[in-house]
Amino acid sequence: MSDYENYSGKTSEARLRQRSRYTRPRTYISWSWLIVGVALGIVGGVFFAWNVAPVEEFDTVPRQLRMEDRANYVVAVMLDYNITNDLDTALQRLIDLNLPGDDPIQQVAEIACDLVSTGYASSSSGLRAVRVMMSFYQNLERSGCADELLPANSTPLPQVVQITVPTPTLAPPASKTPTPIGPDLPTATASSFQIPTSTNSRQFEYFVQSTFCDVELTALIEVRVFDFDGTPLPGQPIRVRWNSGESLFFTGLKPERGAEYADFQMEQGREYLIEMPGLSDPSPTPLSAEPCNTETGQQALRSYRIVFRPN
Amino acid sequence: MSRFFISIIIGLVIGAILGLFLGWVQFPVEFVNSPASSLTTRYKDEYTVMIANGYRGDSDVQGAIERLRILGIENVPVYVQETAERYITNSRVVEDIVALVALSNALGRLTPIMEPYLEIVAPEGQ
Repeated sequence: MSDYENYSGKTSEARLRQRSRYTRPRTYISWSWLIVGVALGIVGGVFFAWNVAPVEEFDTVPRQLRMEDRANYVVAVMLDYNITNDLDTALQRLIDLNLPGDDPIQQVAEIACDLVSTGYASSSSGLRAVRVMMSFYQNLERSGCADELLPANSTPLPQVVQITVPTPTLAPPASKTPTPIGPDLPTATASSFQIPTSTNSRQFEYFVQSTFCDVELTALIEVRVFDFDGTPLPGQPIRVRWNSGESLFFTGLKPERGAEYADFQMEQGREYLIEMPGLSDPSPTPLSAEPCNTETGQQALRSYRIVFRPN
Repeated sequence: MSRFFISIIIGLVIGAILGLFLGWVQFPVEFVNSPASSLTTRYKDEYTVMIANGYRGDSDVQGAIERLRILGIENVPVYVQETAERYITNSRVVEDIVALVALSNALGRLTPIMEPYLEIVAPEGQ
């Protein structure tokens, strides 16, 4: 018997069991504290892995994209569908995008509406994409605000115009015989634009209503399109061309300025021709943002107010 | 006291390893509102093919370039060329290759490996 037993003098079996707690060899591990440590470690490890050093983002799937890029993805799906006509694949891709709402086709209509409202359709490329989206959801019996902003019968899709810049030809060397300078010499003419136009039904006529000089509205072409009776016409295409490019935009995209209104920002030193593609002749004279003085004597660039009316 | 410290330290180490495994491998953070530049290669490829098909429809090179820029690519022609060549090398779907080659050609990046695919006319509706 141990000294302890001798000291206590207790020999019952229960006493022996109680005593064994104190007599068994001690381990270096306390299981209860170990479990507490594991729990704390898991909490700390997960916190570190999620917040302090999360995995690097590199394998994003489309449904994780921000809304703006999901809209771009939808545009791509529609452009692809326009060629492949594979409705199952297009729908599956739309579903994979996890767009808000239950109806992915209606979401295409909503996105087309957003794109038109935000000026995405102001370029010919964007307009074409929106038209493809509209064709998709209209065929599946859905509708959206793009239907009103871009009426289906307004104009056909503009084709991309490939402009071939002619190679400049060097002037021939001057002959040794002096040529008398006379009034019959041809005078220099302003640079002209060679514009391939589609079938021109010339339904609208172009009027320069006025020019104005305003610091806040500098170098602006303000365009308004009205019907015979003065009714504002939204969704009408306006094309502005210059020697190295063009821009297509539509009336009604700035509803606060009126359903008939659209505008274009000019750059100083550049000449612009404006027209309603397929519906009017180009402006007979180029518009340019010339320096001008406002009524208060401030420097600005000239702006124009243009009106198109049916002829 | 030493039992306490030894136990808690061992527990913390085991727990931290488990926690990191859970946080990084088993249940990693899922990002939302991500930019298109972080799309996984599979979806970047899919997007590129869709844009290339769009180009086949409208011949709008500038539009295709603008749409591909959202992938965060600095040199779009080189990217399209590399994608087209990878598709050819991996014997991917011919229609996809034809679309990519057409876009790459329009971007001035036609390489010898692509030339046979320029002559393929995709069947109607494909």
